Amino acid sequence: MNYSTSQFKNGLKLILDGNPCSIVNNEIVKPGKGQAFNRVKFKDLITGKTLEKTYKSGESLEGADVMELEMQYLYSDGEKWHFMEPESFEQFDLSEESMGSAIDYLVEQDICIVTLWNNNPITVVPPIQVILEVIDTDPGLKGDTAGTGGKPATLNTGVVVQVPLFVGIGDKVKVDTRTNEYSGRA
Amino acid sequence: MSKVKKNLVHYQDLIIKIREFFYSRKVTEVKTPSLLCSPTTDVYIDSIAVKVNRDISRPTDRYLHTSPELEMKRLLSKGSGDIFQICQVYRDNEYGINNSNEFTMLEFYRIDFDMHSLVDEIIDLLKMLGKTDAVIKISYAQAFFEYGNIDILNADLKDLKNIANSLGLNSDYDWVEDLQTLLFVHLIEPKISQIPICFIYDYPKEQSALAKIDGPIAHRFELYINGIEIANGYEEIQSADEYRDRFNNELYKRKMIEKKKLLVDEEFLRDIKAGLPNCSGVAIGIERLFSSISL
Repeated sequence: MNYSTSQFKNGLKLILDGNPCSIVNNEIVKPGKGQAFNRVKFKDLITGKTLEKTYKSGESLEGADVMELEMQYLYSDGEKWHFMEPESFEQFDLSEESMGSAIDYLVEQDICIVTLWNNNPITVVPPIQVILEVIDTDPGLKGDTAGTGGKPATLNTGVVVQVPLFVGIGDKVKVDTRTNEYSGRA
Repeated sequence: MSKVKKNLVHYQDLIIKIREFFYSRKVTEVKTPSLLCSPTTDVYIDSIAVKVNRDISRPTDRYLHTSPELEMKRLLSKGSGDIFQICQVYRDNEYGINNSNEFTMLEFYRIDFDMHSLVDEIIDLLKMLGKTDAVIKISYAQAFFEYGNIDILNADLKDLKNIANSLGLNSDYDWVEDLQTLLFVHLIEPKISQIPICFIYDYPKEQSALAKIDGPIAHRFELYINGIEIANGYEEIQSADEYRDRFNNELYKRKMIEKKKLLVDEEFLRDIKAGLPNCSGVAIGIERLFSSISL
């Protein structure tokens, strides 16, 4: 299915240079003495890169069959990461490359958003906040109250996050997955 | 004071200041008809047609003016001297957040002004309205050199298509001017959106509209405020024959893009047979100007 520039709106998924992309900004520019254009910003759903294009108003682009579904993360066999759509029980798997930084935050049973293109998963977005366990960090230095930004801690997914000095091994912490920042004790 | 009232008063202040600016410079305020016998021939501007009954059961086509340009030029050719007008104008097929089918236009003409004197006068007007940011003046060609590393005046249709392709843009356009505009919208406008007041002057001759042509360029300019087009002006061509040529060129292009067939406005050409005085004129979108000042 093709979409004309007059149907462009934020969130519309289209095929660009062979990849599925999502419109993040669509601006109509009609110069006083020229024809009308749509200046469009896209996000490439596979690479995550932003693209800027300008179309003559009335042009059309091929739509992309893209769906975002809530799925439960089941397990990883080391090569693939397996997910299940909880209503249909249908299972999907993603490669390490497609997982991107989600690898750092997902623990089994977590619910996350998986994007399907032509029914194949292409990306996964972890919950904004996840609860992870500290498996390694230096002991807190007593008396160090200067508050110099804390210390690194390795969490059970392998990701390293800066935590306050009082956090110790075995503690559960909340992490903001957008910024990779500690946001509190769980 | 309510927010609405405050806004209305601000707008009224703007209009009062504009009028006083021109009165103090001995520019005469005029009012020209908005219900015209002929639609505009401008390639990318469409008139709104209306039916009026000139007699019982004698419906006649009339067109709301898309700008008071030709009516004011009738006055200029008859010896009006410097004139200005603030009026509503109407255009079909306008869309987007910065466009509307109806908006307010300030249009004025200054006798014996060249393009640069007119630009200076607009800067005076902006200052008087409280818009005192630094002004950038840059030629169309220079803007393309600086912001796109492109020699726009020496790029032919093939060159322009190659540039568009290299930017990942569709290059399926038939005319140089359309590709120039595509590249301007794609490359230049986003850059000049950082500039509070930017005049772009000396447009390529293919985009002359009704401006005097001088070699590869036309003495036409546009004012952009933070990347939004606010004004379009030029040194006016003077003879009826030149107007006829430009209109015919517009009609030819309209035909090529399969727009409704229109005719040259012979009545207008007859009325300006004596020619226009040497002058420059500009149209300024008042709502866009107002929002750029209130922000």
